[in-house]
This record gives sequence, structure tokens and C-alpha cells, in this order.
Amino acid sequence: MHTNAASSELFDNLRLELRRGCLVVAVLAQLYTEHYGYALRKALGDQGLAIDENTLYPLLRRLESQGLLASQWREEEKRNKRFYRLSPLGEEVLPNLLAEWREMTAALERILGDRGLASAAESASESKKEK
Amino acid sequence: MPATNTDLVDRYLHAVKFWLPKAQQADIVAELGEDLQSLVEEREAALGHTLDEDELAIILKKRGSPMRVASGYLPEQRLINPAMLPVYRLVLKIVLLWVFVPLFAFVFLGPVLTFARPGEMLLRCAVEYWRAAFMTVGMVTTVFALLDRYQVKFHRADNWDPRKLPGVPGTQNAMTRWNHLAGAIFGFAAAAFWVYLMWQRSEFAFSGGTRLILGPVWRQIYWPVLGVTLTSAFFDLLSSVYPRWTQVRSRVRIGTDICGLTIAAVLLKAGNFVGIVDAHLSAADLANSMAWFNGMIDWTVIAAIAIEIGDAIHEARFLLRGKRAKPAALPSAM
Repeated sequence: MHTNAASSELFDNLRLELRRGCLVVAVLAQLYTEHYGYALRKALGDQGLAIDENTLYPLLRRLESQGLLASQWREEEKRNKRFYRLSPLGEEVLPNLLAEWREMTAALERILGDRGLASAAESASESKKEK
Repeated sequence: MPATNTDLVDRYLHAVKFWLPKAQQADIVAELGEDLQSLVEEREAALGHTLDEDELAIILKKRGSPMRVASGYLPEQRLINPAMLPVYRLVLKIVLLWVFVPLFAFVFLGPVLTFARPGEMLLRCAVEYWRAAFMTVGMVTTVFALLDRYQVKFHRADNWDPRKLPGVPGTQNAMTRWNHLAGAIFGFAAAAFWVYLMWQRSEFAFSGGTRLILGPVWRQIYWPVLGVTLTSAFFDLLSSVYPRWTQVRSRVRIGTDICGLTIAAVLLKAGNFVGIVDAHLSAADLANSMAWFNGMIDWTVIAAIAIEIGDAIHEARFLLRGKRAKPAALPSAM
């Protein structure tokens, strides 16, 4: 019982670490086209990458303070909304980030394939979808 | 949105605002408010009715406590740089275990053994130890926090050379450890003897009425001698625990040697170390005795100077050998 709770907590922590970098890439990639916060969250969720609002908004501000995003307040549907899009610096950085991510994914795939873990990962993914 | 719901959202946003950085408060709250409003509208459209207070409360509760929500926007803060934590722990360990314990043992051992109520003295010792330890932990932490705040760089941490790392413990000559321990025991004993012999002493009285009057120079050198002896003993103790810290030990030894030489120079310059008072001796015999006695001290001090110089040269050569053996700079890490 205790072991299950510990392993679940460990998994949650590892999952958080794994997601952290991926979310940055996903948010930057999604903001090639302009979005406001709520719409961005919906768009990411619709594509299978649910993101908590308490994670998304601070992340958007961090990326903006790093110069990767640009934002502006604008009225839409009679409400003021803050719209974000990739800045010129973000457009320069994102392709490199994606290339790095692709290299890592390819390497990981090779490692998983070498050890016959790919099928185990697939079945874990299937069972997660079923749940 | 009904008035009660607006009130609930406003209260929630106000509570979040309280924890936010002042410069960004309005901006963040406006964005969070907009997000909440979008969420409420979507939920209302899905349910087909206006959300009541309980339903809205569930949404806000799910979003998280105001402090938790605000914490996401705060800059990451820390008291001490994580990279400096091993050094911080080491400094605390050295101060609390290897400085305070011997120091308190040295200061309180005599009173504990001689005081009529040793239990009371032990309790006082423990209270003083914790008071000093508490203050020291606070001061060390403050220093490390300031180092982190002002981004003080430790070049030594970057410019390191794997070939200069200390050896694996347990492979060194066990004798070295014992030599240092013996040096520490001898040093602390010498310091205790010095205190016992010279504490507020101006003369030695012997049976038969002979008195040895100490010159004023002994008062001048009392604390420096005690300080140098204790420092040397302390570093011997440290070397017995960390025998691979040879560079630090050599530097400290050279330092204590220089202090010892300065003290010896002061002593030699003062000249008249002792005077003798004895009613049974003639003036000529008294003058001869004093000359012989002062001459003996003179030679002892000169011998001590020779030993200190020899030791300092030995340690300096050891340090220089280490520097000459320094290999070419390694390329920096990728």
C-alpha cells in the first residue's frame, strides 16, 4: 500500500519534470498563431496536452519576460483579453528547440527499441487511454 | 453572472492580488478574471443555466487557494545557492563540532572539575553552547545568503582540476592521522599549561624566599601565545580528521610560524625577561644568576626561532612543490 503511494508520488514527480520542458515547446509552437490565455489552454487541451491554468499563465509571463513572446491587451467579444504570439526572438529560438526535441525523441525511440521497451510503453499508453 | 457570483469572483481575485508583486497585480488579476469569466461562460453554456454560488465555489476551489495561485507568479526565491549548500554544511560542521566543542571543553573543563556544583556548571556550559551555536548558525546562514544575494562567484568551484582532488580516505598512512592527533593533544595541553602557569602572573615565589619577577613583556605576549597555540592545536585536530587537507594545513602552519616569529622578536627585543629577588644572595651572585637566567631564555627563544623558521621553510617548500606540480590548465567543460 505504502509502496504504491510512494511509486505513484514518484511517478507524478517524474511526469512533472518530463512535462515541464515539453510544455514550453508546445506553448511556443502553438503561439505561432495569436491566442489569448483561455483559448490557448483549450487549443492545447484539444490536441491532448491539458495544461493547468496555474501553470499556463505564469509560464506565459516567464516566456514573455524572456523575450520569446509578445503580448497585447485587446477587446474581443466586448471583453478585454490579453493576446500572446511568438516574438521575433521566439521565432528564431523555436526551430532550434524543435530540432533538439526531435533529436532527443529519436534517441529515446532508439533506446526503447533496443531494449524492447517500446511495446511496454505502448501498452501503458493504451491502458491510460482506456482509463 | 449573478451579483453574488460576481462578488465571489471579486473576493477571490482580491485575495490573489494580495500575494502578487505590486507592479504586476492589476495586469495578472485582469487576466485571471478574464480566464475565470470565459470558464464560467463555457460551463453555463454546457449546463444550460446560470451557475449558482456552490457551483462557482467548486470552480474556484478547483483553481486553488489564492496564495497558491499567486505563488506561480512570484520569482523563484531561495536563501542559499543550492551549489553552495555542501560548503555551507561543511562550514557549520567545522564551526559547531571542531571549533565550539574543543573551545567549550577547554573553557568549561576546569570550572566543571573544580566548581562545588559541577552539574550546575555543566548545565550552564550546555546553555551557553546552544546560545553560541544558535547565533553562529544564524550568522553563517546570513553570510551565505548575502553571498548568494550579491552573486559572489567562487572561481575555485569552476577552475578545478581532477588531478588535484584529495585521495580516497583510508589509503593514507595511518601514522599521519595519529601524528596530527598527538600534535593536537600536545597543543591543547600546552595551551592549558600556559594558562595555568601565566594567567595574571607577575612573579613566581619559591620556598626560601626567592622570587622570580616576570618582565612586563610576558603580559604583552600572553594572549598572542595562547591564540597561536590554540590555533595550531585546532588545525592539528582538523588535520587528524581530514589528513588530506595538506595545502590548508601548510598555509596555517606558515601563518602560525610567522606569528610565533613575531612574538619571539617582541620577546627578544624586550630583553629583561625576569628579575630575581633573594635576600640570601650577594649583589654579584644575584647579577650572575639573572644574567644566566635571562641568557638561558634568550637561547631558548633563539632555538624556538630556528625551529619556527625551519618549519616555515619546510611548509613553504611543500606548498611550492604542489604549485610546481600543477599541470597545464585543462580545457573548460563542454
